[in-house]
Amino acid sequence: MDYFLMFISAVFVNNIVLAQFLGQCPYLGCSKEKGVSIGMGMAVMFVAVMATAVTWLVQKYVLDPFALGYLQTIVFILIIAGLVQFVEMFLKKIMPPLYKSLGIYLPLITTNCCVLGLAILVQRDAMDFSTSVLYTLFATLGFMLALILMAGIRERFALCRVPRALQGTPLGLIMAGLMSLCFMAFKGMI
Amino acid sequence: MREIASMIVVLSVICGISGFALSYLKQTTQPIIESQVLRYVQGPTIRNVFPAATNNPIEERKEVALSTGLTTVFPFRVEGKLVGVALETQGKGYGGNIGVMVGFDVQRDVLLGIGITQMKETPGLGTNVAQPRFTGQFPGKGLEIALKSAGGTIDAVSGATISSTGTVLAVQQAATLYKELKPQISQLWP
Amino acid sequence: MASMWQEFSKGLWKEIPPFRVVLGLCPTLAVTKSAENGLGMGVAVIFVLVLSNVLISAVRGIIPKKVRIVCFIAISATLVVAVELLMQAFTYPLYQQLGIFVPLIVVNCIILGRAEAFAAKNPVHLALADGLGMGMGFTIALTLIGSIRELLGTGGIFGHNVMWNGFEPFGIMVEAPGAFLALGTVVALMNFYTAWAARRAGLEVPENASCQGGCSGCATGQR
Repeated sequence: MDYFLMFISAVFVNNIVLAQFLGQCPYLGCSKEKGVSIGMGMAVMFVAVMATAVTWLVQKYVLDPFALGYLQTIVFILIIAGLVQFVEMFLKKIMPPLYKSLGIYLPLITTNCCVLGLAILVQRDAMDFSTSVLYTLFATLGFMLALILMAGIRERFALCRVPRALQGTPLGLIMAGLMSLCFMAFKGMI
Repeated sequence: MREIASMIVVLSVICGISGFALSYLKQTTQPIIESQVLRYVQGPTIRNVFPAATNNPIEERKEVALSTGLTTVFPFRVEGKLVGVALETQGKGYGGNIGVMVGFDVQRDVLLGIGITQMKETPGLGTNVAQPRFTGQFPGKGLEIALKSAGGTIDAVSGATISSTGTVLAVQQAATLYKELKPQISQLWP
Repeated sequence: MASMWQEFSKGLWKEIPPFRVVLGLCPTLAVTKSAENGLGMGVAVIFVLVLSNVLISAVRGIIPKKVRIVCFIAISATLVVAVELLMQAFTYPLYQQLGIFVPLIVVNCIILGRAEAFAAKNPVHLALADGLGMGMGFTIALTLIGSIRELLGTGGIFGHNVMWNGFEPFGIMVEAPGAFLALGTVVALMNFYTAWAARRAGLEVPENASCQGGCSGCATGQR
């Protein structure tokens, strides 16, 4: 039941893109086609869950015992950068089909604030290991949902005539605003 | 080979320099950060625990070695005369630890009041332990404190049993520490 | 000197982030609940951006090409941790307000984007001018969005009430949707003005600014 509530909260109520503003750039940049957004969403989910698991362990068994909490940012980002490289190499060798579908998105993920943001967020909220990993999974599901919805709307917009000044980013932002307004309605749920 | 060596050397030099620079900066800013945290995190709660105090409890705080380790104790004075002391303890809540600042009347050995310093409880339910309806039950109560369900006098917040129990446990722990502290008080703040 | 001025001033209007060069959207949207927060975030970004540009430009000769992104990340992350410590020590309330977005400066694409696109290829003095210009442009943009949202959402700017009596604030502007709406409108107005100015001068109307491949695209996409 707790996990179900967490799922609803992470996907709808506190959607990572629309309420917490993490991962805006892929949201507005990589949401032109549904296929691309599914690929991006999967890649982020994959890396974010791994990154949260590894950084959680590092925080608990390396940073905390040696009172190095202030180095959190620098350690986490280097871990994530290394992890992304490693995952890329690993997938290329072991699972070529998966690499084919996720590979092109992987290098883009190092600087995706979703991944680092979630790793830091679960530390700030003092979650335990399993909760952290599950929360990250749910939050990235919410990320994928927002990306796919946006891509669906964008595909329709490609067929319309839009005022020149609104084309591209401005329209994307205003759409995001309206979507975020809709998601605010979920606040009443819990 | 030379390339790999130079990569390793450059990376380790950069990491070394940044590590040294940051640990130096950390050491210089440490005391300032501590006083800032006291002022902005604990400060408002301490004042709410006993608003009638005329001194600055944060400036006169002292670290006291008690059975649970070093504890920071804040004295309350009215017109120069020591009236009470406050100390912070943690209780396990629903979403993490609940920090409770507990004030004691040193003349009558009763509670002056309590305040919540930090918590991650469910908004609208668990967070109600910070509301005056709950915290207002504590002033004037003796050192033996318990929830009504455990034969005491404190009404739990409805729907937030875990948060209420955590808060009360923190108060009980503070009372134990206070009893231990009591003999030293008159020497610490004459 | 002239070239330094050129690099500095381009960040203030021609390539002002995030309006013209769509970079660093997350902090732009997240921390602009008030003008003060926007300004604070902007100043933190200036600090990191200027120093990282200067440092990266100074060591650009000795960094092996293959590990340069990691080196850039290490340098900017060090500066971000320094900013975190300094903010905690001197502006604690602001640090609490900005929350998780202070450490996230490190993945702000402006930092890595400028390091890769400019500082790694240009001498120190130009990198300094570029960082200062881009940082100031970003600060102006954040303060502007923050002011718009604060003005419409609470009826004040920098905490001072400036609207007439009986003004009913649009609460939505300080909530999440307001961020998207305010930024979208400002970008649209800038596009409109650019097109109008270009047409008046008899020039070709330029393309709208867009987010090519997202933040990450500019930092690592060119590999």
